[in-house]
Amino acid sequence: MKPDLKKWATPGALLAAAMCAVVFLWSTPFLWMLIASFRPDPGGGLGMASLVPDFVPTLQSYRYAIEDGYWPLWFLNSTILVTGTLVVQLVTISLAGYAFARITFPGKEAIFYIFLLQLMLAPPVLIVPNLTTLVHLGLYDSLIGVMAPYWGSAFGTFLMRQTFRTIPKDFEEAAIIDGASWWQVLRHVLIPLSLPGLTAFSIVSVVYHWNEFLWPLMVINDPDKMVLTVGLVSFAQGAEGASDWGLIAAGTLFIMAPLFIAFTAFQRQFVNSFMSSGVK
Amino acid sequence: MFIRSAVGALCAGLIASSAVAAERIEFMFPAPVQGKLSREMQKLVKEFNSSQDGVEVVGVFTGSYDDTKVKSQAAAEAGKPPAVVLMSANFATELAMNDLIVPMKELAGGTDLDGLMQEFWPAVRPNAYFNGDVYSIPFQNSTPILYYNKEHFAEAGITKAPETWAEWVDAAKKLTKPEGERWGIMMPSNYDYNGWLVQALTMANGGQFYNTVYPGEIFYDHASTQGALKFWRDFAHQHKAMPTGVTNSKQVSTSFFSGKASMIVLSTGALTFVRDNAKFDYDVAFMPRNIRNSVPIGGASLVSFKGTTDAQKKGAWEFISWLTSPEKIGHWSRFTGYFAPRQTAYDLPEMKKFTAEHPDALRAVEQLAYAGPWIATYNTVAVRKAVEDEMQALLSDPELTFREAATRAQKNADAVLAPYAEQTALTLK
Repeated sequence: MKPDLKKWATPGALLAAAMCAVVFLWSTPFLWMLIASFRPDPGGGLGMASLVPDFVPTLQSYRYAIEDGYWPLWFLNSTILVTGTLVVQLVTISLAGYAFARITFPGKEAIFYIFLLQLMLAPPVLIVPNLTTLVHLGLYDSLIGVMAPYWGSAFGTFLMRQTFRTIPKDFEEAAIIDGASWWQVLRHVLIPLSLPGLTAFSIVSVVYHWNEFLWPLMVINDPDKMVLTVGLVSFAQGAEGASDWGLIAAGTLFIMAPLFIAFTAFQRQFVNSFMSSGVK
Repeated sequence: MFIRSAVGALCAGLIASSAVAAERIEFMFPAPVQGKLSREMQKLVKEFNSSQDGVEVVGVFTGSYDDTKVKSQAAAEAGKPPAVVLMSANFATELAMNDLIVPMKELAGGTDLDGLMQEFWPAVRPNAYFNGDVYSIPFQNSTPILYYNKEHFAEAGITKAPETWAEWVDAAKKLTKPEGERWGIMMPSNYDYNGWLVQALTMANGGQFYNTVYPGEIFYDHASTQGALKFWRDFAHQHKAMPTGVTNSKQVSTSFFSGKASMIVLSTGALTFVRDNAKFDYDVAFMPRNIRNSVPIGGASLVSFKGTTDAQKKGAWEFISWLTSPEKIGHWSRFTGYFAPRQTAYDLPEMKKFTAEHPDALRAVEQLAYAGPWIATYNTVAVRKAVEDEMQALLSDPELTFREAATRAQKNADAVLAPYAEQTALTLK
């Protein structure tokens, strides 16, 4: 080894190099997608698989993606879907989490574990029973119907219960002495102290529902209520041996753009909330 | 996370239930070949809606063929049966067997369905019938076909497309360049495509593949199927003219376009896609034969789920008749590359002009004279998967013998078919 190389090969530098390698590995699909979306000949060719941009970039795939999709409508529907799901979820998980964390009632532990068992169920098993319920409620083929089954979240309830339990009871007792009712305690004491947990849950929920495909495909028939994921597949998927990779890449970039921008902008806050909520 | 939430009930009141007219019907369709086609399909639906006042069709995009089956079945079980669904042609038998779809005579009133079916190519008829009744009307169909790079052929000194298996092997060996620089032949071996091609090779080897009359029997350990398994396997391991392991259809088309594969087998439904993307001189040829020329059909047909109202049934039939008219079915064929299952479409002047300009489209139609029905049994997908798993194992593992693979495929398929056989052929009726 040359002396000056030795100087560079400190443990810190090696760690940094290893980290860079991992970062590169993890970002490969994204890089590939970015490059593929600018490729002039996106239909085929093994060059398609290359990570090296060996061409003059073109916006052709983006033009096709814009022409083929009803993007404003799909963005609107997806936004309604994730917002509507999240708002109700935040209310239900806070209340349920509070009940499981603070209120004593008979069979509490058993009910809590039954609640958690839902996490074990694979969503596709519930497609038909859930659809049947939606039809009975008159919610079939509506965005509310896509949201409804998610309004109670076992994961969120569990997360909020754990978060509330880490808050010392002294705070609440102080509030109660001042004459606060249980919901005032929840609203003014517990929730403000649980914001990291709520933020962490919100991120998980928004990302999950933004990217979800199968359930919206099952519930929605009306093209005016189509969400982004189903919309993308409606023009970019080929059943018998054909795929326009450039178009798929461009469309996927459109879909991920809002989440990507939001995450980049609020990265620090997001990471902090994950750290303090214990969700990783 | 999925909770059958009582909270949903609270919201029922918030949603004004949309007033649904009786003649409003849903038409579910998958994305065929290329996504731009789903837009064309919506255009057709619009055209139909503005052509008359009695029926309003809502076109519902439903993803892949498999997603379409899941979605339409789930909707039917939940009490919202779709009136018209474009379904993979070989699923109709199973849906009819499970009493999920209705025979077309319930929709068609007095229409002479057997007479109508006479206007369709003989090859597409068997998949449309179940127990003597028409259950599905073919709409877009395909057969496997051999695409080849004419420039590579000239370079290798091959003057014509292979017609027999011997010529095929010979050509594949000549076209292959070592170390994966170029493969003589590539065929998709992903699920669905895989079973379709094993069936195609079996039929070319003189076999029947499955019992076309009785849906409880499959012939995986017969000589014709064994020969097909061996033939495909040998391309990879013995002749080294095909990559080993599982290759999906996208890899196959991509390799062909980039000149990494000289011959490929794909659906005729990919014709337009190949025409748009192959930047070299290519042509198509019949699937080569060992014993006889024969291929299975593929594609999709229109079915109607059980539980719709009489008015919806009437509307559904009106739409199905319109969509499968020679004019519309011909238009769809020209746009997509599928062949039109209705023979009479080819008598129309637009179609004659098109086939004169695109002789490759005509080749797909000529092959129809040798086509037969597509595997449709009790629990079709599981039965098909029994042979697909073995074919994939054969392509990956050079040590596995074709006889072993065939025996195991038969055993697994028989186990899937057993409950049906017990209730039918093994019971006095």
